[in-house]
Amino acid sequence: MKTSKRIFGSASLIMIAIIGFAFMPAPKKITVKGSDTMVILAQKWAEVYMKSNPSVSIQVTGGGSGTGISALINGSTDICNASRPLKRSEMEKLKERYSTYGIEIPCARDGITIFLNESNKVNELSIQQLSDIFSGKIKNWKDVGGANAPVKLYGRENSSGTYSFFQENVVKKDYATNCQTLPGTAAVVNAVKNDKNGIGYGGAAYSVGVKQCKVKKDAKSPSYLPTSENVKNGKYPISRYLYMYMCNRPTGEIKKYIDWILSPEGQKLVVEMGYFPVK
Amino acid sequence: MKMKRSILTIAAGLMTGMLFTGLHVSAQTNADTLADKVSAIQEKITGFEDRLTTDEGDLSKLTKIKFSGYIQSQYLRYENPSNYPYNTFMIRRARVKLTYEPASGVAFTLEPDYQPNNFTLKNAYVQLNDPWLKTFSLWAGKFDRPDYEVEYSSSNLEDLERSKVITSLYPDEKAIGVKLEIAPPRIPLKIQIAGLNGNEGLTYSDAAGNVINAPQQNGDFDKYKDLMARVTYGFKLGNFGALNIGAHVYYGKVKANSYDVLNSDYTYNKSISNPGNSVKRNWVGFEAQLYMDVLGGLALKGEYLVGVNGTPGYYSTTSTTSQSVSSSNDTLFVRNITTTAVSAKPAIEKNFMGYYVYLIKNIGKRHQLAVRYDYYDPDTKISGKQIGTNKYAANTTNITDHYDYSGSANGNVIATDSRTIKTVTNSLSSGTGDVAYGTWTMAYSYYFTDNIKVQLAYSVPLNEKAGKVDDNGNGNVISKYNVNNIAGVLDYSKVFPQNTLTLRLQVKF
Repeated sequence: MKTSKRIFGSASLIMIAIIGFAFMPAPKKITVKGSDTMVILAQKWAEVYMKSNPSVSIQVTGGGSGTGISALINGSTDICNASRPLKRSEMEKLKERYSTYGIEIPCARDGITIFLNESNKVNELSIQQLSDIFSGKIKNWKDVGGANAPVKLYGRENSSGTYSFFQENVVKKDYATNCQTLPGTAAVVNAVKNDKNGIGYGGAAYSVGVKQCKVKKDAKSPSYLPTSENVKNGKYPISRYLYMYMCNRPTGEIKKYIDWILSPEGQKLVVEMGYFPVK
Repeated sequence: MKMKRSILTIAAGLMTGMLFTGLHVSAQTNADTLADKVSAIQEKITGFEDRLTTDEGDLSKLTKIKFSGYIQSQYLRYENPSNYPYNTFMIRRARVKLTYEPASGVAFTLEPDYQPNNFTLKNAYVQLNDPWLKTFSLWAGKFDRPDYEVEYSSSNLEDLERSKVITSLYPDEKAIGVKLEIAPPRIPLKIQIAGLNGNEGLTYSDAAGNVINAPQQNGDFDKYKDLMARVTYGFKLGNFGALNIGAHVYYGKVKANSYDVLNSDYTYNKSISNPGNSVKRNWVGFEAQLYMDVLGGLALKGEYLVGVNGTPGYYSTTSTTSQSVSSSNDTLFVRNITTTAVSAKPAIEKNFMGYYVYLIKNIGKRHQLAVRYDYYDPDTKISGKQIGTNKYAANTTNITDHYDYSGSANGNVIATDSRTIKTVTNSLSSGTGDVAYGTWTMAYSYYFTDNIKVQLAYSVPLNEKAGKVDDNGNGNVISKYNVNNIAGVLDYSKVFPQNTLTLRLQVKF
């Protein structure tokens, strides 16, 4: 029994030391990882914030929502940017590792834009038509009122939140096997810009040098462009929240940074960068 | 001079002509070479494209195969004197999990466990997921029984080992059968319904204590199949956390393997006509897990199980024959004796109860503290003092004679006696298997990375004080041991030391 007491005493001391160590103030370095859709916005936020808070260092990298969520689970990022909500399996992993379901902070809104080449005659598509196009059922532009030319599909890699969101909410089945996957929305836009038969999807903020396609809920509904107003009032049918995830409720410098992002100043940058504010 | 000038002019003209011709030829040659080079590069690119297509095809096959696994290496130090050696290094788990998805919605999983002197197959199942609603999945093979702590991988266990009630009811965690899972993607609801053999990992013994089923070999002991169902639902509590609640029911039977069945208090319950008939294994479990964000992750998890757990008995007969001859007066006695010895142990249906409660606190990203209290009473119908006293005994000896005076020899009467002797030893006593246990476990985990962690745990099992104590202070519920040539007795009338210290290193990939 004496041995037990000694072991128990030593263990208690070690645990007290660990607790003390764990609550030591963290250095003012914040890592942000995840969504490629959000990366230009996240970089802008970091750049502006660091200017007014020079003692804080914020490191932003993309890689996709899935990559960011994995980084959050394995502890290699403080903030994960995601263009889709966490999946159940990801929550389970967070729960097992940190005894928490994570903290979800919607920080901007986005309309997933359908990019067409500027020479494409097609101006509007319904959700069903988009599903048929991206699942490979519709293979020729003439089937949706365009030229007699094959449809060339450009999309994101499966680690992308946009890929998952678009699949779950628009395609609703497997993507066509000939859909060319590209690393980032900028690459999708670039591919569509250079391919007169190309079609792609991605964040509205990247829509430069391509035609935005109007989208309608079904064949009888009016079609809308992903403008600020249409996204805000819910008329544009493929809009979503963009999130920041953390393991625990933010404290210290991370809390200050998040509060600033949600402040009018941070949300003003959301609009400037081509996204839509949450408030 | 004129001539000289003419010659110079001609020479200059010739040279210029030659130069232009040379340049033209050279330009032509360069153009041809460039075209050849472009053509060669184009061919190379085409070759690379073909190769890339082939490689992508091969790679896409490889992405259908997933490897994961973990190794747990640990040092243990026991206080229980019957444990020898009292300290040891061991490999607790060395598992590799292989999942192959040949088509969308179909997955095969194989998970062997490699031990230095043993190899066992832990998981081996086919999983069919519905591709339309993404809600239903059908499992067939060997997989975890549907229970919270069973399904919680031991690579994630905060207190290193599962609770006693779970390891007693669901030994080895896995069972063979089929399972239907219903988990709608947008609703935090999960329903599991499983049909299982039900005997996996359980050990049944004869009257002498010898194992009569086939533990660890997945042998099905009887014709009865068990049914298990579990429902869980999750509530989000905003950014505060989440609450999951659930319940499961186990409806099973096991072959009685004997003619008598006892109640939980060791009193006679009933006789059954056929030892192939069953005793019940029925219980329910309720679970809840609360996750909060209080200066980091904080979890409170618990489960309560109650029901009836039947254990088969044993019934065996051995017969011998002998003959004796004796004479008295003018009668010759010939006695044919058939001796039948019945060694029996009645089946018993015990009422049990057990629960566990975890409190887990994460500190920062790397540290985790956990405390658990778990309790298991395998027989709630007898108190600690009744253990060792409550017993059932139906030992009988019956002798029957049948005389036949049917003949004579040399003037003597021959009397033939056909005697049958039947001795029945049929008993079962309460004992150490009925002792309740409450166990405190404290554990600390340090995560070097997401894949590597070290854990230190100290468990303090407290046995229920069982039996009666004689005038010399000795209890009647004991367990004898002889380790390293040292004999001893564990006296359950006292709480004896059984604490265990574990230091574990785990690598997961």
